[in-house]
Amino acid sequence: MSGFSIDRRGLLGTGLGASLAAGLGTGASAANPAPLAPGRTKADFAGAMKAFRGVVGAEWVFGDEEAVAPWSKTYIPDPAHQYKPVGAVCPQSVEEVQEIVRIANTYKQPLWTVSTGKNMGYGMTAPATPGQVVLDLKRMNRILEVDADLGTCLLEPGVTYQQLKDYLEENKIPLWIDVPTVGPIASPVGNTLDRGVGYTPYGEHFMFQCGMEVCLPDGRLMRTGMGSIKGSTAWQAFKWGYGPYLDGLFTQSNFGIVTKMGLWLMPKPPVYKPFMVRHANMEDVPKIIEAMRPLRVSNLVANCNLMMSASYQLAMFKRRNEIVPDGAPLDEASLKKAATANGLGMWNTYFALYGTEQTVAGVEPIIRATLTASGGEVLTAAEMEGNPWFHHHQTLMQGGLNLDEVGLLRWRGAGGGLAWFAPVAAARGVEAERQTALAKEIVEKHGFDYTAAYAIGWRDLHHIIALLFDKADPAQEQKADACYRELVTRFGAQGWASYRTGVNSMDLVAQQYGEVNRDFNRTLKRAIDPNGILSPGKSGIHP
Amino acid sequence: MLRVYGGMIVLALAGPVAAQQRLGEVQAPRAPEQVYAKVCGYCHGRNVGPILLGRHLPAETVKYVARHGQNGMPAFRPTEVTPAELDALAAWIATAPARKEEHGQ
Ligand SMILES: Cc1cc2nc3c(=O)[nH]c(=O)nc-3n(C[C@H](O)[C@H](O)[C@H](O)COP(=O)(O)OP(=O)(O)OC[C@H]3O[C@@H](n4cnc5c(N)ncnc54)[C@H](O)[C@@H]3O)c2cc1C
Repeated sequence: MSGFSIDRRGLLGTGLGASLAAGLGTGASAANPAPLAPGRTKADFAGAMKAFRGVVGAEWVFGDEEAVAPWSKTYIPDPAHQYKPVGAVCPQSVEEVQEIVRIANTYKQPLWTVSTGKNMGYGMTAPATPGQVVLDLKRMNRILEVDADLGTCLLEPGVTYQQLKDYLEENKIPLWIDVPTVGPIASPVGNTLDRGVGYTPYGEHFMFQCGMEVCLPDGRLMRTGMGSIKGSTAWQAFKWGYGPYLDGLFTQSNFGIVTKMGLWLMPKPPVYKPFMVRHANMEDVPKIIEAMRPLRVSNLVANCNLMMSASYQLAMFKRRNEIVPDGAPLDEASLKKAATANGLGMWNTYFALYGTEQTVAGVEPIIRATLTASGGEVLTAAEMEGNPWFHHHQTLMQGGLNLDEVGLLRWRGAGGGLAWFAPVAAARGVEAERQTALAKEIVEKHGFDYTAAYAIGWRDLHHIIALLFDKADPAQEQKADACYRELVTRFGAQGWASYRTGVNSMDLVAQQYGEVNRDFNRTLKRAIDPNGILSPGKSGIHP
Repeated sequence: MLRVYGGMIVLALAGPVAAQQRLGEVQAPRAPEQVYAKVCGYCHGRNVGPILLGRHLPAETVKYVARHGQNGMPAFRPTEVTPAELDALAAWIATAPARKEEHGQ
C-alpha cells in the first residue's frame, strides 16, 4: 500500500488501504441504520422495496446501508446525522416512474426525487426528513429532441450538461449550453428545478425553461404549456400555455416528478470576449455594483456577472495554510499579498461580450469607461492569458465544462465541508456593503472565513457565501451548523432571505417567507398528495 | 421547418472508440478512458484532486472511493457510473501509465 502515501490535495488520505474498513472519512459507515418514515413499519418498507424490485429489477433497488452509501454522502453540516435516505430506486422510463409512484401510495413510502443528484453544498441526494427512498432519475438520460433552428431541446432528467454538450459538438450543432460551475456531473433538469444559475446570457436557468412533463403524486402524467395540445409544435417555443402558469409549481417543490423538460439554447455568437475587472480593496463592493447595475439593467452586459472575492478565488486552487498559518485568522494583508501574487484583486468581476465584431467593438468602450471610473482595472485575455482563474471564468461564460471549483472543498482540512448560504438583495451598492459586513462578522465570530461572491443578475444580487469547514472535525461541523443558522436568522431579520437552501435549513428559510405562503403551499400539497409521498420537507413543505 | 438532429453517425477519431450519444436513446456504456475523461479527469490531475494514473492504485480501493466519495470528493452512484463501467475503470486505473500533462498543485 506504499503507493497511497502521496496526498497531493488531501482527497486521498494517507494510509488509505488500511482504513478501507474504517470508512475513509466518507461518513457512510455509521453503525445505526437510517430510521424509517414516521408511522411506517419494517413490513411496509420491505413491501414497498419488493414491489419496486418488481418494476425496475433487483439490481436497481438499494436498501442495505452499504448499498445506500453513495446516496448518503453530503457536504452540509449535519452534526446529528439526520439527513440520510433509507434506500434508493432507479427507474429508466416514465412508465416505471408512474408504477413506483403508485406503489409508494400503496405503502405510504415517501420518495425523494433527484435528477443527477449533484446538489453539492445543498444536501446532494440526502432527503430533508427521515425514512425517504431516493427516486434517482439518472438512468433516464435520453436527449429527446434538439431543434437547431429554434434553439430548443427536450431532455430527460438524467441527461448531464456533459452529455448535452457532447451531443451538440458531435453533431456540429452551433448552440451553446449554459452551465452551473459544476457542469460535467450535474444536469440541466435538476439544476433548473432548483432554480440554479449559470454565466452566459442564458444564465437564469428557469427563465430559459419551456414546457415540462410531470408525473403527479397520483401517478398521472401532465404536460405544461402547449404540451397537452395534440399536434402542437410549440411546446418548447411558447412558455405560458393557457390559464395559470404551472411550471413554477414544480420548481423547488414537492408537487410532482418532472420526467421531461424543454430548454432554450443560445446560438453560438460570432464573437465571444471575456473580461475581468480587478478591484484592489475589500471596500470597493458598492462601487463595483453601482457601476455594473446600469450595464446589466440595460443589457449592455448580458450575462450574469460573478464578482468574486480574493478568498473565494484562492480557495479554489490553494489551501488556507498556504496563506496564513493554521489557527490564525485570514487577515486582509495576507489575503492581499496572496491575491497580488496570483494576478488577482480583492474583488474580481467577470463578464463577457457576445455579438459580432461590430457590436462588441461598439459596446466595449462604453463599458470600459464605466468600470474604469469605478476604480477597476479592465482586463482581457491579452493581459490574463495563462492565469488559471481567468481561464476558469473564460470557460464558464461560454458554457464550457470544468470542476475547478470543487477545489473549495479542501481549503480547510481534508474533510470536505460546504454549505452554501445565498441571500438575495436588490442590486444596490449600499445593500451589498451591509451584507458583506454582516456576513464577515458572523462567519469570523464562529471561526470561519468570508469566502464569498456576488452573482449580479439583472436587478438582483445573489450573495453566494461558501461556508467552508472541515467535516472530519466534529467540533467544526457543530460550529458550522450554528454559524449557518445564525447567518439565516440575522440576514432574515434585515429582509434578506435565501433564494435556495440545503436540506439542513429548509424549514428555517420557509418560516422567513411567512405563514400565509407556507399555508398556501401546505394546502396545495394536501390536495394533490394526500399520502405525502413526494419529497416531504422540500422547501419546508410538509404533508 | 422542424429540423431535428439525431441518429447521426460521426466518424470515430483515432484512439478509444467513444460511444456517441444518440437522440432518444439512453447513454451507451462508456469505455474506461471515456469515463475518466468525462468524470474523474476534471479534478484528478487538474489541480483539484490527487493524481490517480501511474500509481497502481488497487482496483478495489478505486471502486470503494468512487462509491463513497472520500473527504471532499462527491460519491458516484451506480446510476452515474454503472457497476460494469466502474469495474473496467478501476482495472484500467490500476494499470494505466502516468500522464505528463497531469498535475497537482
Ligand atoms: C463548487 C460548487 C459550485 C457550484 N456552482 C453552482 C452554480 O454556479 N450554480 C448553481 O446553480 N449551482 C451550483 N452549485 C450547486 C449544485 O451543485 C448545482 O446546482 C447542481 O446543478 C445541482 O445538482 P443537479 O444538477 O444534479 O440537480 P439534482 O440534485 O438532481 O436536483 C436538485 C433538486 O431539484 C429537485 N429535483 C431534481 N430533479 C427533479 C425532478 N425530476 N422532479 C422534481 N424535482 C426535482 C430536487 O429537490 C433536487 O434535490 C455548485 C456546487 C458546488 C459544490
